[in-house]
Amino acid sequence: MTVSAHTPLLELNHICLSFDYIETLSDINLTMNEHEVVALVGDNGAGKSTLLKTIVGVYTPDTGSICLRGENVSIPNIKAASDYGIAAIFQDLSFCNNLDIAANIFLGQEKTSPFTIRNDSYMHVKAREILSRLTSPLSAFRSMEGLSTGEKQTVAIARAMLNNPDIILMDEPTASLSVIQTAQVLSYIKELRNQGKSILLVCHNLPDVFAVADRIAIMRHGKIVAIHHTQETTYEQIIAEIAGARQVNNEFINTESISVSHKLIDRYN
Amino acid sequence: MTFRAFISILYILMFILKCMANQISGSQTSLREANMAMLFDAITKYGAMTQVELAEATGLSTATVSILVRRLVDDGLFTTTDTIRSGRRATLVSIARKMGIGVGLHIGRNHLSICITDFSQKILAYHDRPLPYGHKPDSTLIEALRLIHETVESIAASIDEIVAVMISLATPIDWKHQQIGVRGILRDWDDTDIIAYFKKSFQCPIFLDNDANTAAIAESKQGVGIDFPNFLYVQAGDGIGASLFINGALYRGSMGLAGEIGHIQVDPFGDICACGNRGCLDTVVNEQRLTSVLSFTHGSITLDDLIRKAQDGDPGCRRVISDAAVRVGTVIAQTCISMDPQCIIIGGDLSKSGDAFLEPLRQSIQRLLFPNAVAPIKIMSSTMPDTNVTLGAALAAIELASNQPPVSAQ
Repeated sequence: MTVSAHTPLLELNHICLSFDYIETLSDINLTMNEHEVVALVGDNGAGKSTLLKTIVGVYTPDTGSICLRGENVSIPNIKAASDYGIAAIFQDLSFCNNLDIAANIFLGQEKTSPFTIRNDSYMHVKAREILSRLTSPLSAFRSMEGLSTGEKQTVAIARAMLNNPDIILMDEPTASLSVIQTAQVLSYIKELRNQGKSILLVCHNLPDVFAVADRIAIMRHGKIVAIHHTQETTYEQIIAEIAGARQVNNEFINTESISVSHKLIDRYN
Repeated sequence: MTFRAFISILYILMFILKCMANQISGSQTSLREANMAMLFDAITKYGAMTQVELAEATGLSTATVSILVRRLVDDGLFTTTDTIRSGRRATLVSIARKMGIGVGLHIGRNHLSICITDFSQKILAYHDRPLPYGHKPDSTLIEALRLIHETVESIAASIDEIVAVMISLATPIDWKHQQIGVRGILRDWDDTDIIAYFKKSFQCPIFLDNDANTAAIAESKQGVGIDFPNFLYVQAGDGIGASLFINGALYRGSMGLAGEIGHIQVDPFGDICACGNRGCLDTVVNEQRLTSVLSFTHGSITLDDLIRKAQDGDPGCRRVISDAAVRVGTVIAQTCISMDPQCIIIGGDLSKSGDAFLEPLRQSIQRLLFPNAVAPIKIMSSTMPDTNVTLGAALAAIELASNQPPVSAQ
């Protein structure tokens, strides 16, 4: 609750998306503000990755609107999203193993001088700059082959940061990372947030979610069932809502088990 | 004199000379060892130094230093690298890594940090791992163990090279018995035997200390406290801690609880503190109290947000921080009248809000100290408020393991 009028950076209003007969996203309403990390949690198949892909332009919603800095926009593809300042880092880090790190950072967005000749030196300098901002010891000349998952993740983050986006979407950024790499990615997420970025984070690791997120949105079967401030919720509440239980008098009750036990009670009466 | 007599006198003279030479070479060896020990002491105390600096610090001639260093390098105890001093090439001497590494761990309220240093006080690794508020000991200790193992591996060292581990906590520590000194402040950790947990994995000594103490150690060895043998270090964040450095050494008190100024009473009818007392400074300057007064205008924010907004000029946040500074300054002034330090060093999260905190703090301290004092006390802010606790823990581990002049004045 704030007194000052404050336009959210991103607003998703009544977003719906269906694939054949499955309602993958159903009436999604979500706002994202500057200086904020929103975590998106939910079971497999809840629609988290689909929501991310919709925001970044891979899918176009059937109905509903996306509002960026107060204006309705349509995001037909990833390039348009990038122009709007939205970048995404997905789990399948698609890189070209035969090229070096700098080339992979600029993949698809190569800087060319007039006459469409690639400007390799500019790209290498820029790549080194971004990597040092991520405090990564990686050299821009190294080949992608032989990098660990954590190092590839760093290059993916560098690629996403290339055009200085305001909104960053991350799909399971700490999956299969070592302790130090997880520490670096989480610290970097906090650092980006403090710089004013807005981050939407899909993560299964609840302690990591509670460590970096300001708000937690729970998705279930294509719907957002609840959004909580991290400081005002507990692990139990989040897990219960992921599983579809509802809270009755400080207890989480799965409605299915209630109907089963009623049947048992009836049988014995 | 006959020729024979002459020769026998010559032999006798040579025999006497030989005996004298033996004596001299005997004391030469022990003198060389004593000088090597002096070099070793100097580098452990002051960090890596050039040969010229070593000569000045030990009083030996540069030629002697050069010979001894070459010998110690050959024995694998020292390493040398080239460096520049005053525009000239110089040889930087440091203790070889195989002498061992010290591990410092800081278990904070929402993060875990690790720092590894060697005997020349060089930082070999530093990592910060965000944790959720209210993180539980069982999961945090496992994470800490993994972090230590991975970090040691990442610098191509082995666990056997660790000479000591120092764990820094935001609670009073009973230094003598190496356990939590006041129950209730880190409630979840009161019944956790941290040292026993790490002793299962490490053969080296494990120590516990208070976070303000290890931060002060870092300040005295590498921070702004380097030139001051007598200073008061204050850690101002979610709660207030302090540390007293007297005559170049950390003063811990009889139990290790010296400096807990966060538990000096400022309001006889105030809130009950986690320590059990009432109206402690910590009850008026803590994250919950500072952020809750802004809930109407700012919604729910964290202390980090509050500090950032204050840095950006938000008037409400600046006011909250300034009022907190006045409260803290009053208690600091009282401590200074008792202790008479040369200077005060301010660290911790609140110090990161810059002048928003430091100016009102300075004014409130000066107001309560002797108006006619010859020189006003120096109040400085730490240059490494984010890392001093963990760095200090690693430096303290090295110092404790090397049996140097003890860290504590006890």
